[in-house]
Parts: sequence; C-alpha cells; structure tokens
Amino acid sequence: MNLDQKFIFPAKLKMASWALIAIGVISFVIGFMSDAKTTWANYLLNNFYFVSLSVGALFFLCIQYITNAGWSAAFKRVPQAMGTYLPFAFLFFLLLYFGLHSIYHWTHEGIAETDKIIAWKAPYLNIPFFMARVVVFFVIWILLSRWMRKLSIKEDMQGGLAFFKKSGWVARVFIFAIALTFPFFVVDMIMSIDTHWFSTLFALKNFVAAFLHGSSIIILIVLLLSKTGYFPFLNKSHLHDFSRYLFMLCIVWGYFWFAQFMLIWYGNLPEETVYYVARWKEEWQPLFFIDLILNWFVPFIVLMPRVTSRSFSTIIGVIIVLIVGQYVDLHLQIMPGAVHHNHFSLINVGMFLGFVGLFTLVVLTALSKYNLYPKNHPYIEESTEHHF
Amino acid sequence: MYNTEVRGKLIEGDKSLGQISKDIIHPIDQKTPKWWFISMGISLIMLMAGLYAKYVTVTEGIGSWGLNNSVGWGWAIINFVWWIGIGHAGTAFSIFLLILRQKWRTSINRAAEAMTVVAVMCAGLFPLLHMGRVWNFFFVLPYPNTRGPLWVNFNSPLFWDFVAISAYLLISASFWYFGMIPDFATIRDTTKSKIKKAVYGFFSFGWTGSSKEWLRYEALSFILGGIAAVLVVSVHSIVATDFAVSVIPGWHTTIFPPYFVVGAIFSGFAMVLTLVTLMRKLYKMNNFITDNHVDAVARVLIFISLIMGTAYATEVFIAWYSASKYEFYMLIQNRMLGEYAFQFWAMVICNAFIPQLFWFKKIRRNITAVFIISLFINVGMWFERFNIVITTLAKDYLPANWASYSPSYIEILLFIGTLGLFGAGVLMFFRYIPMIAIHEVKSVAKFDKPTAERKKRHHHEE
Repeated sequence: MNLDQKFIFPAKLKMASWALIAIGVISFVIGFMSDAKTTWANYLLNNFYFVSLSVGALFFLCIQYITNAGWSAAFKRVPQAMGTYLPFAFLFFLLLYFGLHSIYHWTHEGIAETDKIIAWKAPYLNIPFFMARVVVFFVIWILLSRWMRKLSIKEDMQGGLAFFKKSGWVARVFIFAIALTFPFFVVDMIMSIDTHWFSTLFALKNFVAAFLHGSSIIILIVLLLSKTGYFPFLNKSHLHDFSRYLFMLCIVWGYFWFAQFMLIWYGNLPEETVYYVARWKEEWQPLFFIDLILNWFVPFIVLMPRVTSRSFSTIIGVIIVLIVGQYVDLHLQIMPGAVHHNHFSLINVGMFLGFVGLFTLVVLTALSKYNLYPKNHPYIEESTEHHF
Repeated sequence: MYNTEVRGKLIEGDKSLGQISKDIIHPIDQKTPKWWFISMGISLIMLMAGLYAKYVTVTEGIGSWGLNNSVGWGWAIINFVWWIGIGHAGTAFSIFLLILRQKWRTSINRAAEAMTVVAVMCAGLFPLLHMGRVWNFFFVLPYPNTRGPLWVNFNSPLFWDFVAISAYLLISASFWYFGMIPDFATIRDTTKSKIKKAVYGFFSFGWTGSSKEWLRYEALSFILGGIAAVLVVSVHSIVATDFAVSVIPGWHTTIFPPYFVVGAIFSGFAMVLTLVTLMRKLYKMNNFITDNHVDAVARVLIFISLIMGTAYATEVFIAWYSASKYEFYMLIQNRMLGEYAFQFWAMVICNAFIPQLFWFKKIRRNITAVFIISLFINVGMWFERFNIVITTLAKDYLPANWASYSPSYIEILLFIGTLGLFGAGVLMFFRYIPMIAIHEVKSVAKFDKPTAERKKRHHHEE
C-alpha cells in the first residue's frame, strides 16, 4: 500500500469555504448593526464551539499515545490538523475583549460596590487577569500542539522510534496542561456569565463535551475523506472502534449532565437551582430536553447495536446530530445568562456557517501540507491491518 | 497486527502453551509454603479480633463506637467507602482495559477480580453493622410486609446503595467465577490428586473445551462484562450521592459522583499493584507479570492521580469562587487548616503528589518503590474518605453542635477484622485458584514471536 499519499484540497471545496466565510462576515456585520449584545454572545458561542473541537481532538490524540493505541495510528494527522485552528481562535478570543461588557455583567463598572458576591470574586474575575489567562491558556495549547505536530512530521522524514517516544512524553505533558487550564477556561468563558452561580462539575462536563465533539469531528473528517478515496484501508473494525468512542463519550456526557442536574434538583438550594429555573421557563424548556436528546439519547440508542455501530451512514448521521447538539448545549449555557431571551434566527446560522468555513479552510489546508499518513509511526501496520 | 518489537513481550521466557499451564498451576500443586501458614495465621487472628468487635457491637449496640450526635458516621462509613472503592478495580481492569484493547491486562485481571469480590464483602459488613439491629437487616428489602405496611424510602440514596451493591456483588462474583471455569478444567485434567480432580471437576461444570462451549463462554463474558461496566460507574456514583444529596457544605457538590468513581478506580488500581507485586515476589511470577505490566499500571496511576489532584483543586477553587461563606469555611478553614488538617494534607500528598514519582522510569522499574508507593495510595484514599466523612459532620451549620470524633477500640478492631478477612481471602485465592487466567494468557502468547515471522505463517489470523 502506498503510504506516501498527500491530501489535495479540492479547489471547489476551498471556494465553498471562502463563500461560507463571506456569509459569516455578512451575518456578523448585520448582527452587530442590529443587536450588538446578542451578536457578541453568539460570537462567544461560535468561538468556544470551535476551540472545544480543537482541544477535544488534541486530547483524543494524546489519549492514543498514552494508551499505546495501535488501531488509530493512521488517522492521527486529522486531530493534529484540527489543532492548527488554535492560533485563529486565539486571535478571536483576544477580540472578545471588546465584547466583554455585553456578555459578562461582572465587567460592568461599579458593580462590585453594589454586588457583594461579585466584589468577593473580583480578584479572579477582573478584566486584566481574565485577558492574561486567555493569553496563557492559548500560548500553552498552541506551543504544545505545534511541538507534537513537529515531532510527528520529523518522524515521517527520518523514521526511528525516538520521535514516537518523545511524542508520548509530550502527550503526557499536554494532558497535564489541559487538565490544569481547560477547566479554568470554561469557568471564565461560560460559567462566569451567570456570575453568582457555581457548580464543581460544570467545567468537567464541558471538558467531556469537548472530547466527545472533538472526536466526532475527527471521525467525520476521516469518513468524508475516505469517500473521496483517501484512507483506503478503512474497514468495519475501524468504524466500530470509532463509534465506540462516540458511544462511550455520549454516556459520560449524559452521566455528567445527570449528576449535575440531579444533585442540584435534589439539594434544592435557591442559589444553585436558579441556574436551572432560568432554563426551565417557557422559551428555553424545549431546548432543555432537546439538548439531552441530541447529545446523549440519540447516539446512545443508535450506536448500541453492533450493526449500526459498523455502518458508515449511521455514524455520519449521528455525528450530524452531535454537531447540532453541541450548538444547542452551548446556546442553552450561554444565552439565558447573557441575553435572557432566545433570539435565534437565520443570522445565527450564517455566523455558525462562517466559522464552519474558516475551520474547514484552516484544517484542510494544514492536512494538505504533509503526508496524510504517518508512514513511520511504529503502529502504522497495526492500524492499516486492523481486524477484530 | 501486534508490533512485538515496539510493545515488548507480554510473557517472558519463550514458553510453550503447555509450559504456561504448568507454571501457573504450579503453586496449587506444590507443598504449601511456610510463609503462607504464617500469613494465614496472622490474618485469622485479625479476623478473630474483628469477630470479637462484631460480638460487642451486636450485643451492646452502636454505643460501643466513638460516635456522637454530630458525628453519626465514623470509621464504619469511611471503611465502607474505602473497601467498596478497592472493590472496583477488578471490573475496571477487565472491562475498561478490554475496551481500550490493552493486551497486558490478561496477566492481572484474575487477581483483580478476586480482590473485587473479597473487598465488596468486607465493605458490605459495615452498613450492616451500622444498622444497629443487624438481625432486622432484611427491612431494607422492599417487599409487601406486615409492618404497617412499612416500605423503604425509595427517595433515599441509602436504599439505592443497597440495590447497587447487591447487584454489583452478584455480577462481579459471577464474572469472576465464570472466567475461571476453563482454568478449573485445566487443573482437573492435569492434577494427580483424586480429591482435587473431584473438587475442581465439580466446579468446572463439566467443561470440555469444545468450540461450542467457547462460543457460549465468550458470549456470556461479553454480556456480564457489559453489565459490570455500568455497575462500576453506578455503584460509586450512588455512594457519592449518599453524601451529595444532602445540603451540608463539603458534601453537597456536583462533582462528587465522577470524583468518587475515579477515586474508587484509583484505590483499586493501587491495591492491584500491591497484590501483583506480592505475587511476583512470593510466587516468582516474573515471566507473566513482567516489568512492562507493572510499568503500565504505574502509568495509569499517574493519569488517575492527576485527575484526583484536579478534583481536589476544583473543590477548593470553587469553594472560594462560590462566595458562600459556608463552603469557604468548610473547605479552607476547616479541612485545610482546621482540626483535621493532617488528614487533609495526608490525602493530598499521598494521592496527588507521591504518585507523580511514577513519571520517572527508574521508579516504575523498581519493584520495591512501586510497592511502597502503592501502599501510600491505599492509605491516602483512606484519608480522603476520613476527610469527607468526618470534617463535614464535625462542624455543620450549628456551632452549638460541633463535636470532635475519635474511634473507639471496637471500631478499630472492626477495621482490623476486615483487613484479616481480605488477607485470608487473598491467601486462599493464591493457594487454590489459578492466580492468572491461563486461557487468556495463552491467547496472547502468540504475540511473543517476532512480527515478521507471525505474518509469514498466518496472514490474517489476528
């Protein structure tokens, strides 16, 4: 089998990505002119969405290294390419500085004098420290993901086990770094919107969501590329292993969702239930259930049988459900606190499509730069001849 | 396609399949070593001490313990949670490592599952005794009765606990037992003693090893494994809700269910490590439990220790972030700096810091060091449960109710008794049951040949 293949970014797809970006830019311009406050919240939502995909994909990659997984080795260029979106996300999160006032009410001047709880949190929730954390988090993620990518490319050129071992070490450091940084990132970006509210599981729940949705996009890219002739060795065993990841992670997602909801419901303390009360009211209530159905129930039921978990089209279908699911989940976490009412319209779809275009452009460009298969990876044979 | 050159051998010493059976059964056929009798004697003495404590508890009541009106849960609940946590590793090993396709689990899973069953039995004792009138324990079962009719409180996590743990004990014991049937048949077919032939023959259910039997056997393992995987998570989540559905600071926190599950797997893996290092040393199983096996468990422990550290940090951070003075008082002034600060810091150091030593290959390859660190984790996890149970009860919302707690000697003896039970159970396991799953190790033996040679012979065998 020829492992020296490169991915060629089709010109049409490139054009389509640019077109989506144009739609996104127009949507944002219209959004900012009509309703800046809501648009900033949507800006945050989309940014967080795609950062969670990148970080989730990189976490997937690291897990493959530390568990010494062989079956997935041939696909590892995909999560690596997804990591290259991070510098763009970094830029976008720096621009969020101008929208802080619209989203986070702890940034309002003088609020600490009237609100004792915000005054208490001020040493952590203040704009300079907030922005400094954004810089620190992204610098760590970008440096480590670049380092892993570099090692893997060198492995392609020179071969040998040294790069593999080194990557394993970097993967461990990266997991360590993600564990320390990503929960704070979630607290900053999402939990602090409902400034008074707190939950110890909240950050970890979003971490699991990132892992789930990052993995689902890796699988989507692999499956779509295989349709156009890449990854010729992809077989039912790979599909089964991929859908096991989705199945397992959707259960963990549902478990975390339930743990947080059930304990708050059962404890019934006003300062905690306030979060769910807001999301239980008329306009949000359908989303409250749709969130659970899309992210847990559908993948759980659909991927349980062996037949469906080995079916190409079923997996694609589940991933599309999950793509909508992550949007609904973030919408429900961000909007009730930031804008109070459900202003979902076509413009929001346009904004999302703009980010989809950018993400596609960045990731596929990165994927086309080097060999698509890590041909000198020690487990490449285990991966291409994977049967169970 | 298993890359032997990179991954290393799973079994050392170029053994034939027959040699593998012989080596693993050897301890059952050999004369019982002297150290076995000595350790068994010590375990039995400890067990007797525990029996005495149970006698006192049953005849005098819970008043013989060091509990008071504020601290109503003492060592009994700490030990219950500790043991049930240890009891999780067997299933974690068998299922999660199977799902992650970790072939090295084959040498260790039998010991881990055996440990699970004994540890769950130790755990079950404590809630039973804590009921006070242990002879009425069946009141916990929900059935139509003549007591009113008086039903159990279905809203109470204590009832969920009962259901979850009984189910877990049932499934993990079946999983363990059915896993042993082919190995019992191996002993039946190789032993020279007539008694052994009869006993192991009985327990092997007339296993002949036909392909039809293997098919059914694998289907059964698959189903039991699937159920057990869910139970691992549900049991400890429910143990966590025992605490978390209350509204007391330090207990009522949403992170508890996953945090308990991870903690359970952590302590279980540590106990597995303690046991397999002993097996290596005492029964010279170095060829089956190789340095690579120990290394892999140690690396899993670094990962879990990191999660534990993150959970501790999250709790402390959110206690501050919540701006709730009760949360702040409980986590920071009470747990970190208060009366029981020693237990808090012992927990942090043993669980979050000491296992980080496993980052160094030299330490992972040093069996004595690994053994000692595994003991530290066992102790650290005990302190974690102490920290959760006692500190919160000792200082609740009403300062007038604040009270200290120290265990009475009866509670200490009860704990020693369960250690004795565990020791005796494990020793019986070493003596009478193949401590490594023979047929599973055989299934990975082919991976010891160089990759190229295997490929030549059977192209699509794997």
